Formats: sequence, C-alpha cells, structure tokens
Amino acid sequence: MSQSIASRLARGSARQSEGGGRSPLAKVPTILQHVYIWIWLLIFVMPFLATLAYSFEAPNGGYSLEAYDFVKGAFLDNLRYSLELTLMAIVGNLLISIPAAYAIVRHNVPGKRFILSTLNVSLYAPAAVMGLSLLITYAYLLDFLPLTHSTWGLLAAYVVGTFPLMLLPIIVALRDLPMVYEEAARTLGANRLQSLFRIELPLLGPGIGAGILMTFVIVFNEFLVTLFIAGPSNQTAALRVYGLTRTAGFSQSTAAAAATMQLVSFVVVLVFFKLVGSRYLKGTYFA
Amino acid sequence: MKEIPVPAAMLEAEIEQSKSGRFQRDSLVGFGLLTPAIVVVILFSLAPLAYLILVSFTSESTFFFNNPVYTGGNYRTIVDRFMPHVWTTIRLATLASIFNLVFGFPFAYILARKIRYRELVRTLMVFPLFGPLYLAFGLFYVLLPNGPGAPFLDFLGIDAAQLLFSEQMTVFGMALFTFPFMVMNVVASLANVDPTLEEAARTLGAASWQTFVRVVFPLSWPGILAGFLMCYGWNLGVYVVPILLGGTPQQRVLSLTLQQKAMSQFDYGLASAMGVVLMALAFTVTWVSLRFSRGALGA
Repeated sequence: MSQSIASRLARGSARQSEGGGRSPLAKVPTILQHVYIWIWLLIFVMPFLATLAYSFEAPNGGYSLEAYDFVKGAFLDNLRYSLELTLMAIVGNLLISIPAAYAIVRHNVPGKRFILSTLNVSLYAPAAVMGLSLLITYAYLLDFLPLTHSTWGLLAAYVVGTFPLMLLPIIVALRDLPMVYEEAARTLGANRLQSLFRIELPLLGPGIGAGILMTFVIVFNEFLVTLFIAGPSNQTAALRVYGLTRTAGFSQSTAAAAATMQLVSFVVVLVFFKLVGSRYLKGTYFA
Repeated sequence: MKEIPVPAAMLEAEIEQSKSGRFQRDSLVGFGLLTPAIVVVILFSLAPLAYLILVSFTSESTFFFNNPVYTGGNYRTIVDRFMPHVWTTIRLATLASIFNLVFGFPFAYILARKIRYRELVRTLMVFPLFGPLYLAFGLFYVLLPNGPGAPFLDFLGIDAAQLLFSEQMTVFGMALFTFPFMVMNVVASLANVDPTLEEAARTLGAASWQTFVRVVFPLSWPGILAGFLMCYGWNLGVYVVPILLGGTPQQRVLSLTLQQKAMSQFDYGLASAMGVVLMALAFTVTWVSLRFSRGALGA
C-alpha cells in the first residue's frame, strides 16, 4: 500500500515537471502529443458519427427521422430478441463462472493451470471457425438436442464463447478479497451459503460487473457465429444489420439500425462506468 | 502485473487442511464447482473443434450421409488452389498488426505518461470494440465520393475513389478494430515501468533515445508483444471488413471463403479443412502470446 502511494507521488511529481526532457517523447512538443491523441479519438468516433448523421439525412437536404421508422418497426423485434438473448447469456455466464472462479481461487484443484487454459479455448478460436464447427455439431453430433436454428443453440454458443471474459475478472476480484471476511462471517455463525450471498458476492460486485459488461458488449454485437447457426426465425439484431449491408446495400435504414446498436451499447458502457468505475476492467479488454 | 500477495490466513488454512487430510475432499468440491464450466466447454467447444477436424477429412458433404468418404483431398485442394487465400489472410493480419504497433505505441505512451483525461480516452476508445461491422460501415460512408470525408480527403489530395475497395483501407479498417487491444496491453505494461527509472536514466546522462532503447523498451516489451499478438490473432479471423472496404483480392481471406464454401456450396469438407488451417494459425499465435504474457491475464 505504502509503496503504491510512493509511486503515485513519484508519478505526480514527474507529471508536474513535464517537458523537462526525461522521456523519449518529451522532445516532441506537448501540444503535438495532445493533437495525436485527439486525432485518434476523432477516428474512433468518426464511423459512428458518420453513420448517425447519414441516418438523419433527408432527401431535400434537411434532417428527418424517417429512417428510424424501420428501427421502430421491423427491427424492434430483432432488438428485443437480441436483448433477451444477451440477458440469458449473462445469467448463463454467471451461473457457470462464479462456482468455477471459486473453485480455482479457493480450492486445491490439481491441474488448475491446464483447466483454466482449456476453458479459454473458444476465446481464441476465430468466430468463423467456431460458427462452422458448431453448425456441424448441432446438425449431427448433438442432433438429439433442440439446438439447430434455435435460441438454445445460440445461447450455448454465446456462453461458451464469452464466459471466460466473465471468469477472469471474477478470479482477479476473488484473489483481491482476503479470506478474513469469509472466516469472520463463518466464525460468527453464518453458514456457507449465507456468507456467500451476504459477504462475498456483494464484495465481488465490481468484478462481476466487469464480466457482465463484456458479455453484453460482445454478445449484443455478435453476428458471425450467429450467421452460421441462426435460422430464419431467430435473427438477432446484429445479424440483421449484417444482412442489411449485404441485401439492402448502403441504405439509410441500415445506417439507422447500425447507429441504434452502437448507441444502445454505448449507453450501457456509460452507465457501467458511472456505477462501477473501471477498476476491475484492468487486464481485460476494456482498460 | 504485480503478484497479489497471498494473505497469511489463506496459507495457514491450506497447510492445516492438507495436514488434517481434508485436501482430497477440498479438491473434490473444487472439481464439483468446475463441472458446469467443463461440461459446457467440452460439449460446445472441444467436441465441435475435434469434430471439425474429423469432417475436414471427408469429401464435400458426404459426412452427413450414411457412408462418408474419407480423404485427404481437401488439404490437397487447399495446397493446390487456396494457398493465395492463406497468404492473403496472413498478409492482411501482419500489415494491420504492424500498423497498430507503429501508431498504437506512441498513443499508449502518451496516454500512460502525459495526459490527464484518461477516462475520456478510455470511454471513446470503446467504440471500435463494438465490432468491425459498424466500423467498416461507417468508414465506407465517410469515403463515399459525396460522403462527409470527401472535402477533407480532397484537402489532403487523396483520391477517395482509389481508397475505397483497396488494400490500404481494408488494413486500416482491421487495424482500427484492434487498435484498443494494442493500446491496452502497452498501457498495462507501461504501468509496471516505474517512471522514476526513466528519470534516473536521464539524470545519469542518457539521451532520450537511449532511455527508450535501454530502459522503457526492455521493461515493457512483453506487453508490446502480447498486444501485437493479440491484434494478430483477432485479425486472422477477419471477415466483414474486406466485404465492405476491400476489393476482390482482399476478399480472398480464409474466414470469408470457408463461409461461402459451407453455406452456399455445401462443401463442408473443404470448409472444415480451411477452418482447421485457420484454427492452427490462430492457436499458434495465441500459444506464443500466452508464453510471453504469462500472468498478464491473471491466469
């Protein structure tokens, strides 16, 4: 603790005497460094802003909300289905990840490292490979289960592809959490379940939140695995957007749908940063 | 990443447990808690991938009929006719990852050491993570001859018509999607390099480039490499960017070709063989990156 304060102080003093020529980039004027960052920030948001602007364009040069009729109409069903699926995937990930993280951090499981890296396999397989292999498996090996062209099939694909992203932040948070709280609760007479629900899960909140955020962003916007295994009756919103870029081409309703998807995702991220902060996103894809 | 100190209580508890012979029960409970995860991974990840390898040795879609024809012909077809696709995949991934390295490292360095509005940067950097589909779609619009980017590109003297459906644009689209992965990895590793070390080097008379070559780079290169390889792994699976921003030569990537083979020509054997090749490439990259970034993921 004291060490981290010391290094923070050191960093603060380094920042104060900026431009003293300590670092390799210090010779580049400070303004140019800021300009570089801002150019990239502009590039990050530019595709979204351009899509949004295009979706509002009216034929006569003004602005209109006409393109959003599609979003409010036919697209709304896809959006609702996607949100339901995402929610189900989050619940599935939680049910799998919390016990697994608990086992890995608090129990003496032999071959821990090997198990953990095996669990991550689907995280590293390219989406097209995952999609094709699941398509084959659903149609043949697991044909006794209702997985082909079904919500269950999509759900299984999302859970296996994203639960490691839920597992890792929870493992990190659980490692940060000293055993003493749990032990104190047990000493004071709480049973295992009580200490889990009253003490540990609340304290793990931010870690679990990080997993929920990542599951949301990925599942909600996933279209490639979905393209392989979804049927005509279960089109997710992201798959619909992809389909529109192929069939409707470059139309305003496609732009409106794409802008809506990004807005929904961005609002969720903002709400998360506001509520939880980004501490437990360290070491993950978000920070 | 710093090692998280193990609380003394935990160690004592572990020693006690193994002493009193509760070790076995403890690991049994552990396996029990891991069961759901293991079952899901076996059913929906390991079995399908093993299955993919099996199907890759059958001819066309015969696997789904009563007597499948087993053959190594699919791999011969890849070697004879689809090597350009393999090379295109590798080439695009390499170019995009190098782009990320060259432009991402300065970004990460400035972000980690120089500026105070990190929250803002972190928030806006989320947009590329929503996926290459929206990025490619937005970039496509920006580059249209009458799009919003046209005056700016005119000003720079760049012909927008030549940029659209070109390799440069495909690489840029891919790189933009993976840029945050590069930046985050480098920022994480720079956070472990104490800035006072750089100060010390400067005080002792090192020039700024010497500080970089001798101090910053050696201390942060595992993160740089991990970021590079993570970008590489993602870029190998590229699918939608070449469709929207690339020309026909760029659309010869493995993901796209295997999707067409499987979904429109029903040549599952060949598609699976391409999937196996792609998987082998991706897993090699992952394996190397895990070796170098050990502990970075807390694993």
